Order: sequence, then C-alpha cells, then structure tokens
Amino acid sequence: MSDVDALMDRVRAQMDLDGETEQEVLAEIRDHLEEAVAEARADGLDEGEALARVAARFGLEEEIGHELQATHAGWGTADAVIAAALPVICALILRWLAFAPDGTALGWPQLLSRPAFWAVALAALIIPLLRFERWRYALVTWAIFWGLTVIFVALPALRW
Amino acid sequence: MTIREQMRKGTTTVIILNLLAELDRPMYGYEIIKELESRSEGYFRFKEGLIYPRLHELERQGLLRSEWHGEEGSRRRKFYRITDKGRRRLDAELRSWQVFAENVNRLLGVETAS
Repeated sequence: MSDVDALMDRVRAQMDLDGETEQEVLAEIRDHLEEAVAEARADGLDEGEALARVAARFGLEEEIGHELQATHAGWGTADAVIAAALPVICALILRWLAFAPDGTALGWPQLLSRPAFWAVALAALIIPLLRFERWRYALVTWAIFWGLTVIFVALPALRW
Repeated sequence: MTIREQMRKGTTTVIILNLLAELDRPMYGYEIIKELESRSEGYFRFKEGLIYPRLHELERQGLLRSEWHGEEGSRRRKFYRITDKGRRRLDAELRSWQVFAENVNRLLGVETAS
C-alpha cells in the first residue's frame, strides 16, 4: 500500500456513503494527492518529504472525512419528498390510466397505445435523473413504474 | 481560531464562486487551491482537503456543476463550473460583503479608498 493510499484510507474511515459517491469522492482526493506529491517531487523533495509536505497541507484526514460525510450523508428534505412521492404519483396516474371508468382493466395493447402512458413512463425516468443526477435512481424509479404497470394490467383484481 | 482564520473560513464560498466566475472555465480542486494561493500571494492558504466539502456543498446547492474528464481506468479529474444560479448568488454575496465591510470599517475607524 502506498503512502497516498494510507492517507486516503484515513479519510475513507470517516465516511459511510453509498459506493458510487464514495468512489467519486476518493477518486477526486487521489487526483489531488498525486498531483501534489508530483509537484513536491519536482521541487526536489524525496518521496517521504514530499508526502509529509502534502499531508501537512492537506489537513487532518479525520476532519476532512467527517466534513465530506456530513456534506453527502442523507438527502435534503426536497429530495426526500420527491423520492418518496414519485412512486406514489406513478401508482395513482397508472391506476387512472389502466382502468376504464367502469372499473374494467385495459389490456396491454390499449394501455401502450395511450400517449399519456408514455408521457408518465418518460417522466418516471427523466425526473429522478435530472433531480439526482444518478442513473441508478432513475432506473429504480423506472423499475417501480414498470412493476406497477405489470401489476395493474396482469392483476386487475387489485383495484385499490 | 484567529480572526484571520475565521474570516478565511467565512469567505471561502464567495471566493471560490468569484474565481470560477471570473475565469469562466472549468477548474479542478487542486487547480482552484493553487490559483487562490497565487492570487493572494500565499495569504489565502488553508487546509487543502477542506476545499472538497465546500465544493461538494456548492454543487449540491446548484451553485456549481461538475463533470469528470478522462477515461475509466486512466486518470480522471473532476472539473467544476459556476452555474447561473451560482452567479446570482455571487452577486448577492458581493453586495452583502460590501455592506458588511463598510460597516465594520466604520466601527473600527478604518479609512477605505472609497
């Protein structure tokens, strides 16, 4: 393990983020440390001296890891409301789309021919993508949307 | 914490926004640090790692936008660019700063150029 890795491990020890976020944060810090070490070496320092200088300028790894954790941990209130509301809104709109006024369920051909259905499907993908800037969140909402669609069409008895 | 450290901490956000607005190009974290140090002739030297929580917070607030450059598996670098919302916030912060500085100077009896 290089000394840069050891330094990063001390930052990582303070964080408990989702894998993708943590990977991005650490990649950014690694880039910083490697450039700073290279610069110190170019100034004539040996590897140990270079790393000592970089570590001193970088700051306490525990403090930085703690602040990064505080910045990234949890969603804001608005994000949480959107994340919770999207599947609920999808379910309500789908219920309206998938059932005729007399309560009988539409089949796949009728449902898939409705532009409103595709508008909702697109919104279920695009809104979380734009809001959270994570394909993973968009795909989860998309999966929930299609799961609900299958349930409504395949199990029409579920007219709740 | 000294007054200098407190002031530096309190002004980091507006200084980052101002730098990115002025240069009007994407910059990465280490580059921002070096530029701030250079422009302040070493006065604005802070714990470098602490810039990342600030940058990420600004991004979460929509004041900055980031993008990664470089291929997967090779060296990748995250660049930040100020958004329109960031520019509006910067204008508001600069106005607040001007009023604040004028009032503090008046209280301290410090004469300013204006």
